[in-house]
Amino acid sequence: MQEGKPLQSRQINRELLLTILNSPKWFFTTISILGMIVLVAMGAAGYMINQGFGVTGLNRPVMWGFFITNFVFWIGISHAGVMLSAILRLSKAEWRRPATRAAEILTVFSLMTAMTMPLIHTGRPWRTVYWIYTLPFVPYDYARGIWPNVRTPLVWDPSAVYTYLTSSILFVLVALIPDFAVLRDRTTGMSHRIYGMLAMGWQGNARQWKLQIIAGVLLSALILPVFVSVHSIVSWDFGMAVSVKSWHSTIFAPYFVVGAVHSGVSAVAFVLILLRYVYGWQNYIRHEHIDALARLLVVVATGWFYFLVMEILFGFYGREADEIAVRDYQFMVSPWNIWMFIFVGVTYFLPVAIWLSRSARRNLWIMSIACISVNIGMWLERFLIIVPGLARKQLLTFDWYTYTPSAVEWIIVGGTFAMVTMLMLIIARVVPLIPLYDIKEGEILRTEIKVGRVSVPATFRED
Amino acid sequence: MAASETKGHGQHAGMWVFPDASTISQDVSEKSRTMAKPFTMALVVTGILFILAIVGFIARAADDGFDEIGPWGYYTAVFSMIFMVTSGAPLAACAFRFTKSHWRRPLSRVAEIFSIVGILNLLMFIPMMIFLPDLENPAGAVEHQMELRRSIWFAGPIGAPHAWNMAGVAFLVITAMAILWTSAVADMGEARRTATGFKGWLYRTLAGGWYGTKRQWNVQKAGLALLGAFYFMTVVFMHFTISSDYAQSLIPGWKDSIFPVLYTVTSFQVSLGAILVALFILRRWGGYEGYIGKSTFWSASKVLLGITLLWIYHLFAFFITFWYGRLEIEQNIIKYLIVDTYSIIFLLNMAFSFVLPFAVLVWNPLRRSDWGPSLAGLLALIGGLMFNIRIFVGSANAAPGEKLYHHFMEHVPAPAYPDIWDVFMVIGGLGAAVFIYLLSTRILPVLSIWEVKEGTLYQKWGKLHRGEYLVLGKPE
Repeated sequence: MQEGKPLQSRQINRELLLTILNSPKWFFTTISILGMIVLVAMGAAGYMINQGFGVTGLNRPVMWGFFITNFVFWIGISHAGVMLSAILRLSKAEWRRPATRAAEILTVFSLMTAMTMPLIHTGRPWRTVYWIYTLPFVPYDYARGIWPNVRTPLVWDPSAVYTYLTSSILFVLVALIPDFAVLRDRTTGMSHRIYGMLAMGWQGNARQWKLQIIAGVLLSALILPVFVSVHSIVSWDFGMAVSVKSWHSTIFAPYFVVGAVHSGVSAVAFVLILLRYVYGWQNYIRHEHIDALARLLVVVATGWFYFLVMEILFGFYGREADEIAVRDYQFMVSPWNIWMFIFVGVTYFLPVAIWLSRSARRNLWIMSIACISVNIGMWLERFLIIVPGLARKQLLTFDWYTYTPSAVEWIIVGGTFAMVTMLMLIIARVVPLIPLYDIKEGEILRTEIKVGRVSVPATFRED
Repeated sequence: MAASETKGHGQHAGMWVFPDASTISQDVSEKSRTMAKPFTMALVVTGILFILAIVGFIARAADDGFDEIGPWGYYTAVFSMIFMVTSGAPLAACAFRFTKSHWRRPLSRVAEIFSIVGILNLLMFIPMMIFLPDLENPAGAVEHQMELRRSIWFAGPIGAPHAWNMAGVAFLVITAMAILWTSAVADMGEARRTATGFKGWLYRTLAGGWYGTKRQWNVQKAGLALLGAFYFMTVVFMHFTISSDYAQSLIPGWKDSIFPVLYTVTSFQVSLGAILVALFILRRWGGYEGYIGKSTFWSASKVLLGITLLWIYHLFAFFITFWYGRLEIEQNIIKYLIVDTYSIIFLLNMAFSFVLPFAVLVWNPLRRSDWGPSLAGLLALIGGLMFNIRIFVGSANAAPGEKLYHHFMEHVPAPAYPDIWDVFMVIGGLGAAVFIYLLSTRILPVLSIWEVKEGTLYQKWGKLHRGEYLVLGKPE
């Protein structure tokens, strides 16, 4: 039997456009609260820029802390969009349909948020202009023969992230065109004009659909290498640093990518559960979809765990004193060993134990706990890579130090979570977070096959 | 007689086959019984190669003994090549069964039969236990040398790594055979009624209690899932130990956490390649065209393309990290395995494992054919062989004698070229694997009959608007 009842086209339009055409009562209150948190975080960032890094917990040798951890974390979350959208689109997984749009949009916002972190971390954000532009009115560094080192991953990194951001936005916009046309036909005044412009003359004729599908497939295929390169390059920010022994590991690139997919897909599953609850989309985000995401996550999580084991094992394999010092700090010294224990537990053992049970996969509360647990763990993972590595970077023990984040850092990091939530809610007022045409197509293609006395869910295959 | 269905809309034409479920068992049994002349020829040729391998092995043992690993580099390489295929292929059957892919149905048994070839691996591994150097430096604590060479086993446990590796390989082969038996028991249960002689005895013995009750089917499916999950973990672990003990730990200073992953990815690539080649032969010359549709090649080719891309990605992740670091210890590894000593083998490895398969697989028209993916599979197999020669011959000859206990490779050694016995062992070893596979297809039906029959229940042609399309059911 197919899960969920058949949906009519009009019903799909009505229910999924409800968030855009009408605002629920809680909407503005929530936006205001989130906006306040973001403002406070911006204030904290301003204060830090004004006062200097002294107000943070950063100090030699631990010069990377919460900000860079948070940067890597949000880059990781952004991997869900492409993972779900491009890969599942190419593999024609039917259950992808309600999840793709939210995942793609989450990608865009988390990337934007991620990019604020290194800017804040520079302490003098305006100086980053020297990295990027070769304009005559900002010649300061060039005049002294100082040029960005294009061979450093710190230059590859923004290039990759901005390429990913650009292609993700393009990916979202192309997928949105048919839905913009639906909105164009249901709005008036300024909204009508804006949606009309965004719909780019979409009439839904056969040629337009064909082009839209081809563009979707092509973009899916093209964005995949970008998706892989982004987190690989982020990992090489660490991996290329030979002076930090625990970072210089060949496995970092795939380890980071799989970890990113792990946290990103968990985040998308949680967002879908929230959307189902908040907007009452039970007909669209069904238990089968969350179940499928959880099964996918079992595989991803296990892959990630394998990489983690390899990374740690080969850390010990070399039996080099400076690397052993880092591992000793991670595994034997409190509180890092406690964090390490929590990190592995909440990232792998707890969620996977949950996901192995079918009834747990279909219980949205339990699924929410599992998904949040993964993301707490993945944030910790980045923190536990960065700080102990730097704390034991120096060869001589009198240069060893630790790191304790300050209130300013906590506020700024907290603000990024509020910012992504706020942006997701705002965008839900502008575009449908579940793609209308994808759901409609799924409804047309779904059917059943009778095997003996049992009806089995089936789909028409176009290719 | 099974019929290939060519009706339908657009791309479906000729892609999917709709066999006649009522005649599959009889038809496949007949095909298994008859022995075509080309098959007999292949059996003879590979049998001769098998003998060559034995000759090469005896000659190598007589010439060099088992004290040093250096002369056994090519032997280790061919072991690893066969190991990659035989360990990865059953996993392909399990994985595609797990994802409930319909196109996998004709592929499952073809893949699982490779587990019988695993017996060859088990036999080949016995001398490998003997010539693997000890972890402890026989000279003790010498200056500028390690007392204990780098290994994933560190200082123990007892018998490590030799006995543990042997136990692991044996365990892997047994698990793979268990998967094969669990999968084939239903087919053997049906075939025992008509089979005579040795086959009849074998089927009656192995499928004695099978009556196809609902409970038995449930147990069989649960068993396949559990064994598959267990096998997956064992494969990954054994790839880790073999790639570390017989490669990485033999090159002083090579500390590369991605290498076990690259080894596993290469194994997946070559095993899928071998499966595709076997499927192509069965479809083109074995009379199985009515069962093996192009959809199987088309879908498997996408997986092969993905694995091929993963292969180059992992290789690049290794290379860039070592290259960028500019550390002498890492530069020497790159010089030895990539840019200097084994550069030609490396280029061949790159060409056959990535460039050529990628060029073939990236074209839709080629992927839609049966020969395109099979060609890519064949190329990947050649690439896999180059990979194994580069890594295992390189590792076996990187640090002879006490140099193995040095902290890192101070000088880049010269390449180890094969002699006639090495050639015998490499070609003969591969021939032996094919020989055992061919023999196995005489014993077991090469098609998973129950899975193909089950598949016919879940596929049909259905009308949608003005067209006729394929409808595929996906049970929970």
